[in-house]
Amino acid sequence: MMKTFSIGGIHPSDSKISKDCKIEVLPVPSKVFISVAQHLGAPATPVVKAGDQVKVGQVIAEPAGFISAYVHSSVSGTVKSVGPRKDLAGNNMTHIEIDVEGDEWIEGVDLSDTLVTAIPEDNKAILEKIKMCGVVGLGGATFPAHVKLCPPPGKVAECLILNGAECEPYLTSDNRIMIERSKEIVIGAAIMKQVLGGCKTVIGIEENKPEAIAAMTAAVAELQKTAKGYDGISVMTLKKKYPQGGEKQLIDAVMGRQVKSMGLPIDVGAVVQNVATSLAVYEAVQKNIPLITNVMTITGDCLPMEKQHNYKFRIGMPLSYIAEYAGGVPEQAAKIISGGPMMGKAIANMDATTVKGSSSLLYLTAEQTVRGVESACIRCGKCAEACPMGLEPFLLQKYARNNMMDELEENAVQDCIECGCCLYSCPANIPLLDIIRIAKGDVIRIIRTRK
Amino acid sequence: MERLLVSPSPHLHTKTSTKSLMRDVVIAMIPAVIVSVLFYGWSELLVLGVSVASCVLLEYLITKYLLKRPCTVGDMSAVVTGILLALNLPATTPWWVVFIGAVVAIGVAKMTFGGLGQNLFNPAIVGRVFLLISFPTYMTDWTRPQGFIGGGLDGLSGATPLGLAKEGGVAAIEGLDYMDMLFYNIGGSAGELSAIAILAGFVYLLARRVIRPYITLSILATVAVFSGIFWAINPAEYTDPVFNLLTGGVLLGSVFMATDYVTSPMSNVGGIIFGVGIGIITMLIRYFGAYPEGMSFAILIMNSVVPLINKVCHAKKYGRA
Repeated sequence: MMKTFSIGGIHPSDSKISKDCKIEVLPVPSKVFISVAQHLGAPATPVVKAGDQVKVGQVIAEPAGFISAYVHSSVSGTVKSVGPRKDLAGNNMTHIEIDVEGDEWIEGVDLSDTLVTAIPEDNKAILEKIKMCGVVGLGGATFPAHVKLCPPPGKVAECLILNGAECEPYLTSDNRIMIERSKEIVIGAAIMKQVLGGCKTVIGIEENKPEAIAAMTAAVAELQKTAKGYDGISVMTLKKKYPQGGEKQLIDAVMGRQVKSMGLPIDVGAVVQNVATSLAVYEAVQKNIPLITNVMTITGDCLPMEKQHNYKFRIGMPLSYIAEYAGGVPEQAAKIISGGPMMGKAIANMDATTVKGSSSLLYLTAEQTVRGVESACIRCGKCAEACPMGLEPFLLQKYARNNMMDELEENAVQDCIECGCCLYSCPANIPLLDIIRIAKGDVIRIIRTRK
Repeated sequence: MERLLVSPSPHLHTKTSTKSLMRDVVIAMIPAVIVSVLFYGWSELLVLGVSVASCVLLEYLITKYLLKRPCTVGDMSAVVTGILLALNLPATTPWWVVFIGAVVAIGVAKMTFGGLGQNLFNPAIVGRVFLLISFPTYMTDWTRPQGFIGGGLDGLSGATPLGLAKEGGVAAIEGLDYMDMLFYNIGGSAGELSAIAILAGFVYLLARRVIRPYITLSILATVAVFSGIFWAINPAEYTDPVFNLLTGGVLLGSVFMATDYVTSPMSNVGGIIFGVGIGIITMLIRYFGAYPEGMSFAILIMNSVVPLINKVCHAKKYGRA
């Protein structure tokens, strides 16, 4: 029996159209705009000014707090300006504009293809490298990786879960890196496992990625045979169900444990990291390469096969540049998503630039994405059946529309993971998550002020 | 692409809509409808036609002229009510009685409460029970009209098996062939003719994920267990479980009426409590009540406690054991 999470979930078509498109490297444009807010937490503080010369991999912004991260230049050249620019949602954020000149990297970076399998012994040095290289979680939340790898005192990591579920429809970047960079990912996992005290490590991959499962299994087997420090790592095939890649759901699927409300994965002995994060850890620790690249999928049903791509991009590249390079925005595209269709963000501004966590340009047609007219709730219970947190969205939306904060809290609106299963499932087109999301924010604020 | 659409996630939506769900319920009722028309002929077609047409027309008129709201007949829920009402009436019901049933079902039970999703009671059952109490003669006239097949039964009059059992006890139904009842019943409402036809609809609804099995199965299990216990104690006085499952409205009610989204509990546990309640009340009426059949009353009574059930029964939440 393949494992999966126990409550709710939905089965949308996985639409992995670009799963066989090999990773291609995007050429560097003449100009990049690097945002200082590429991670969860406080935006980083710029440490360069107009006129400065920078190299690839040089720190251009420093963390502005515990939950924050370094940002590095993805190109070499001259800093043109440091100032506000609109991000993909259309909000102003400080960006560092750099005119590209050549491609000169900082010292000490190993750009060769040689695989470094020996894991350094000093855990402190490893954590420092992960932090200095600006590694953040690349599964969506972009939480600084080194913070997650330092369990608070008294908490012990029992299992490191590598998230290769890629449960969002359309996205194939994780699938590609698991096929093309499998060994690097396993080495990254072994490094994190060592830092966490040598706990068991499980790489969870959904059944719809057989090539990735085979590649990762082979990589684990080979590394276990040829190098030290790879014991206790295994690949687990998971049943295809959205949102398997949700942290709480993945812990339930892999370990059979559930994180308490408002709790952290480490409370049940789990640390979850995305496979792309593991690759970034490998590059940071073994190659001294800071996190300035990632892989994104260019896809959509309205794109012909030859225009489907998986690109290795550098941070700061304008989305319009990437779309143009990939063959242009298709005529039928009504909405462009950055991220998956379930939790990704609709792009309001194609002049926005790539960030560490960018994962796609997904073109959806009007027919696919325009919502139907809202009609009366028929109390079918499909939203509650779909909710992977076991919540009752039909009830929460009613309480939310009437501002009933106590009832919202009692019915656990704060546990909502915003996966979108409820809104996806509703036959009456009720904007459940839109309403619940706002209520959740309000309730969490109330809970915080109480403390 | 001149302007980009921007909205919060999720950006995809299921193809299932209220209308597609209702259409699936209609499709699930087709086997029962076909059987009833085959055996009861033109008079059953007339009942069905009048019932569906008046339900749809009434909803249209009420939304348009009384409530002055967007018309909701497009969601097909009125069609479902229409067919269900027809299947719950004897095939001999005069057209004007059917029409009154539709007025009560749609006008009173559904639209007065605010339309689809707001009604406390199942509209079709309210319509049927209103007719049963107001026009008992028409509602218990089990004369079998000329059907398109099975003409040999033409003109056969008399009570339903449940009616016989109520009047004459277990002895009165001796010799009934249960295999016959599985395929076509001896008497009763039009939709109750064939257990197999109803079960085919049940399987379709489950396969299409329109309903969950809990309510239906808990009703059937409760009826079987309840009658099983009494029958085991005194088979001379109480009818047996198979008889109770196959006769009357138990199957029709448990598959198509008790599973109505609006008037049944939201959670699975709630559904089971709801089903057990319906089963017990049905059997209490059958064994000890004044009416031979209690399914309609049982569903209505349990409909009224659904809000309470919903208040107590919630889905199991993640991480809150």
